[in-house]
Amino acid sequence: MRRATIPALVIAVGLLLFADLLVVNPALGDLAGVAVAAVIAVAAGAAIATGTTLAVRRGLDLWRRRGDPVGALAVLLGMAAVLVAGLRPGSAGAADPAVGWIVAALIAPIGATLFGLLFLATLSAARRSAIRGGREGLVLVAAALVLVVALLPIGGPLGTALSGVASWTLSVPIAGVFRGILIGIAITAAILATRTMFGIGPADE
Amino acid sequence: MSERLARFGLPLAVVGLLALVVAVGPNLGLRIAGSDPAPAGRLIEVLDRLPADPAVLVGFDPDLGTYPELRPTVRTLVADLLDRGAGLSFVSMTPEGRALAVAEMARLDRLGAPRGSVTDLGFIPGAEAALVSLAGAISGQRPAAGPPGLDELDGTDLAVVVGGNDLGPRSWVEQVAPRAAGLQIVAVTPTVLLPEVEPYRASGQLAALLTTPGQGAAFRERTPAGSFPALAERAGPSPAAIAAGLLVAAVWLASALLAGGPARRLLRPTARR
Repeated sequence: MRRATIPALVIAVGLLLFADLLVVNPALGDLAGVAVAAVIAVAAGAAIATGTTLAVRRGLDLWRRRGDPVGALAVLLGMAAVLVAGLRPGSAGAADPAVGWIVAALIAPIGATLFGLLFLATLSAARRSAIRGGREGLVLVAAALVLVVALLPIGGPLGTALSGVASWTLSVPIAGVFRGILIGIAITAAILATRTMFGIGPADE
Repeated sequence: MSERLARFGLPLAVVGLLALVVAVGPNLGLRIAGSDPAPAGRLIEVLDRLPADPAVLVGFDPDLGTYPELRPTVRTLVADLLDRGAGLSFVSMTPEGRALAVAEMARLDRLGAPRGSVTDLGFIPGAEAALVSLAGAISGQRPAAGPPGLDELDGTDLAVVVGGNDLGPRSWVEQVAPRAAGLQIVAVTPTVLLPEVEPYRASGQLAALLTTPGQGAAFRERTPAGSFPALAERAGPSPAAIAAGLLVAAVWLASALLAGGPARRLLRPTARR
């Protein structure tokens, strides 16, 4: 029963959105609008559920003194700060200046700093990979080294030549491989979607 | 001692060196603007063709990791659009994009962007479904769901997509372009997305695209200061800091190749573990 219901829903919604894209019809448009609104509502609900699960999990970590209590406390305090700022009486919700300040002055800079440290983490990982040996790791690091040198912002004829090498490398070999991977993913997704729509699972093979 | 030095001392020394270069900021004759100014020229052509006081929708979904690469170009582009009398509506479909959009809008407000020129459409969940809803609003349909202000997007002249996250220019071309006929889409993305989005520029589905720091620097060089010089971040990152970072990376990687004995290892089959 479950196998029949989910593919039927997928087929119905998919065909509805596809028909709405092809045919200009107000009633069809309204129906497709309802489907889109339902998807948006489900996504919003899923986001709230994910946040709630995170809070409960970290709360239990703190209560049972397991894992990383300091990290759990930081997560809970951060969530509480945003919730209090956005839900206190008289607040403008997500558009409240206090929420904006927390996001703009704390969350964004802290997140950017953590990502900035990836510079060191990525280099360390690449170095370890090369030192441990393995043909793939060495080729990867050698290619990265060539591209890093080509990206040096040097002026003059040498800089122009290096920039040309970097642009060609990005636009031809790297882009070719990347597009091949994307096409492969798209074909796999199409096959998976078709199997889902027709209710074909591993048990049928 | 040497192991501790390698584990903690070297990274700290690298960070210290980079911080010093960023702080001192010598130019040393270095130049970021690439040898290919065409992408910047195409974006300027698109902007020049806009009507007076255009309505511009800004799909703001960069990620925290790569946004510093785009930030000077995005800020210069926003300042240029405001100089052209544009009304900017910011919308995000990812939490990271929303956080950065909030920070950027707060900056615009603080630095004196004209009152009423920036509208916050907020965050719309639902990924592709959100884009479909947005496309409907742009093409004059009653939006199925979304924040207040979405129903005023009818007649949008240009969509500027700031990419980096999952819902970047590719999703806009796939979901919005077929449903909002005539809407021009331009994009600013980090270099890492170049292989993904370059075909859309080549096919014309993206009217213009800036994907590398060099292309961004070329755009900033060619864009006049306008009425809002404080809003634009014209200087961009220090070329010396970028060069220092790249040199550190090059030395680090080269030392790894030497330590790993590349010639010996490349000539024998990969060891099975």
